[in-house]
Amino acid sequence: MKSLSDQELMRIVQAGDFSPASEIYDRYSTRIYNFSYRFLRNSEAAEDATQEVFVKMLKHASQFHGDAKLSTWLFSIAANWCRDYLRKADNKAKEAEDVLISLPTPVELAPDRNLERRQDEERVRKALMVLTPEQREAILLSRYQGLSYAEIAQISGCSEGAVKTRVFRAMETLKKALTMDASGGTRCLTAI
Amino acid sequence: MSDCDLIRESMPMLLTESLDSQRRENAHLHIEQCPLCSEEWNGYKETWQLLGEVPEVDVPARVKERFLATVNPQAVAPPRNVVPFVRRPAVRWLAQAAALVVIASGSYFAGHRGAPVQEAKLPPIVQQTPFSIAESRVLPASAVSSTIEGRPDIQNISFTDVNPSAGQIGVSFDITSHVTVTGHPNDASMVRLMRYVLENEDRMSPSSARAIDWVRTTYSQPGYSNPEIIAALSNVLRNDTHEGVRIKAADTLKTLTPEMSVPDTRAALISALKSDPNPAVRIKAVEALLNLARSGASLDAATVETLRQKASQDDENVYVRVKAAEALSNVRP
Repeated sequence: MKSLSDQELMRIVQAGDFSPASEIYDRYSTRIYNFSYRFLRNSEAAEDATQEVFVKMLKHASQFHGDAKLSTWLFSIAANWCRDYLRKADNKAKEAEDVLISLPTPVELAPDRNLERRQDEERVRKALMVLTPEQREAILLSRYQGLSYAEIAQISGCSEGAVKTRVFRAMETLKKALTMDASGGTRCLTAI
Repeated sequence: MSDCDLIRESMPMLLTESLDSQRRENAHLHIEQCPLCSEEWNGYKETWQLLGEVPEVDVPARVKERFLATVNPQAVAPPRNVVPFVRRPAVRWLAQAAALVVIASGSYFAGHRGAPVQEAKLPPIVQQTPFSIAESRVLPASAVSSTIEGRPDIQNISFTDVNPSAGQIGVSFDITSHVTVTGHPNDASMVRLMRYVLENEDRMSPSSARAIDWVRTTYSQPGYSNPEIIAALSNVLRNDTHEGVRIKAADTLKTLTPEMSVPDTRAALISALKSDPNPAVRIKAVEALLNLARSGASLDAATVETLRQKASQDDENVYVRVKAAEALSNVRP
């Protein structure tokens, strides 16, 4: 299975044989899970999203056309799932519910660099949640998945121009939130 | 729209190198000459770099297991050594027994209505067979006691002609009862029951967290360590969807594992350390591995390698890194 291309694996699935399911999962689950996790900031929901994406991939295999990338199709399903999740009113409160436990940092093994890096991670996570879902989707697919605007447009069901605008606005917001404070020279979150 | 506005709008594409070479060159020329755009560009680059600080996390193994179970339920092996219980509340067996009590009593009184009073020959009492907890069972009326003890509440009753030609009737109903199972913590039956309770959270209430607390208190006592209980906790750590329960499972393994080093448990702890999204679970897992290392248990190469990776992983929780390093320093050569 490992030597087969995505398209070849999907042809087997389309013929009703689900034996490539595990191989396809191994190829894309990490990307799908991380996309969903960063989008929703909720590990439980990200797990559900990941499982649902691959189940739908099998159920609706006939809808996959070989001319598109499998990754693009899978991200479309994942993005749809995440959007639906956020649309449900009762899920909005669950956003950002994952709480990381902070423990006292052993002084001798906590270089400033590491501490700052972890603070940066937390700032970025929070800043991403300030974006609109559309902007977040666009920036996640662009920055973390390295997808082109054309692919993002296909996933998000909008024009390339709209993707360009979403990424631009997302970057503007993130830049304001994350870049240096001119007065004190320390990082700050201006929009959060 | 001014040149500066156009350049700024294209900055995200400049970052992803999505612009064609001519536009890219023009944009860079402008940025070099324009202090405002230069400052803006530096902000973009810094933001882009900061976004990269969010590390990628591993997908919990249970997600794949659940997915494959959906695709092909047979692909996922059933838990080993689990008592062959069915998933319904364990008290239903009494319902059938009580139903037959009714049948027996009804038959008895119907058969003697109007007849001369004689000393009743009661059917034999239910025999003391091995305790069976099952979804349902059918007993002959002769196997049921003639007295209905405890005045049980009877629900969902139905009357059937089991075999009209043979004059057989049936009365079925549910009954709620409370069962207390007693025994030594290391009795095989008690261990199997505890394992069932731990591994079937969805079939019990109030929660498996309480069961884990109880297991911890009981099986951490000297001489009470039990590999099946540890295996059950390992499964909970691997599969439970609730982070709080996984934390408890890992924490309990921490107290139990030094006495009972089970390869499967090590694998569960390593898996949690590697890929559990919750840092508290990873912390408990690494602490359990540290305890194992301190106790002198031999750790295999894969465990040592995982500890080494965690100890040097920049984006890992600092406490996890420290404990992983400490565990490594305790590994016997």
